[in-house]
Amino acid sequence: MQLLRYTQDVFGRKMLVGVNWDLLWIPVAAAGVLIALHLILRLRRRPG
Amino acid sequence: MSERNAQPGIRHKLAERLFHWVMAAAVIVLLATALLPILGIRFGWVPIHWTTGVVLSAAVLFHIFRAVFVNRLADMVPGPTDLREAGRVVLGRPTNDLRPAKYDAFQKGFHTAAAVTVLALVATGLTMLYKIDTSFWRRDPAVLSDATWGYIYVIHGAASLVLLFLVILHIYFAILPEHRAFLRAMIAGRGPGLARGDKH
Repeated sequence: MQLLRYTQDVFGRKMLVGVNWDLLWIPVAAAGVLIALHLILRLRRRPG
Repeated sequence: MSERNAQPGIRHKLAERLFHWVMAAAVIVLLATALLPILGIRFGWVPIHWTTGVVLSAAVLFHIFRAVFVNRLADMVPGPTDLREAGRVVLGRPTNDLRPAKYDAFQKGFHTAAAVTVLALVATGLTMLYKIDTSFWRRDPAVLSDATWGYIYVIHGAASLVLLFLVILHIYFAILPEHRAFLRAMIAGRGPGLARGDKH
């Protein structure tokens, strides 16, 4: 998967235009994983 | 509480609470106006996005002024004790012998990450105002080369992805029952003076 998006300028040269928005799921998934890990740790450390 | 001009029982003064909620509202509007069009929901997002960005920039300036000249900036800067605290929490070891602090290691760590991310967004976002026409100024994209604009867009986009991650985590940790006192303090002001060394 490409990290960045490119286009071509009027001279046909490759031009950087930003991050690839197909990566949008990554922060959501990363936060979900961290939350799941925290919930597991929290349950394991709960007294009693 | 070590904060300058601290009021007994008050964890967050009105100015800090107002800043927090203005920033929260601005960040939600900014993320929605940036990301919804990417998800296929089309609307005139640019005017809402840049005006909210200007509001966020002003709020951040206000917060920096308050942090430096009114409150104690040192309260929020992570140090060696915070590293020790974070390590011990991860390993499940006690932290009660560590120096008491208004903010614990995780609050300071989150704040540092959010500060760096938002400052990157504000700096690149304000620069991107050169790309739009408004009633106040005319667009002038020629101030920077195409390559430099590309880097600015990459920093702005990458920082917005990091901010999305931080916002999700922040909401999750804020609503946990054991952190409810901090959430109440951010709403009403009253709350625990210390996050480390005085477990409520």
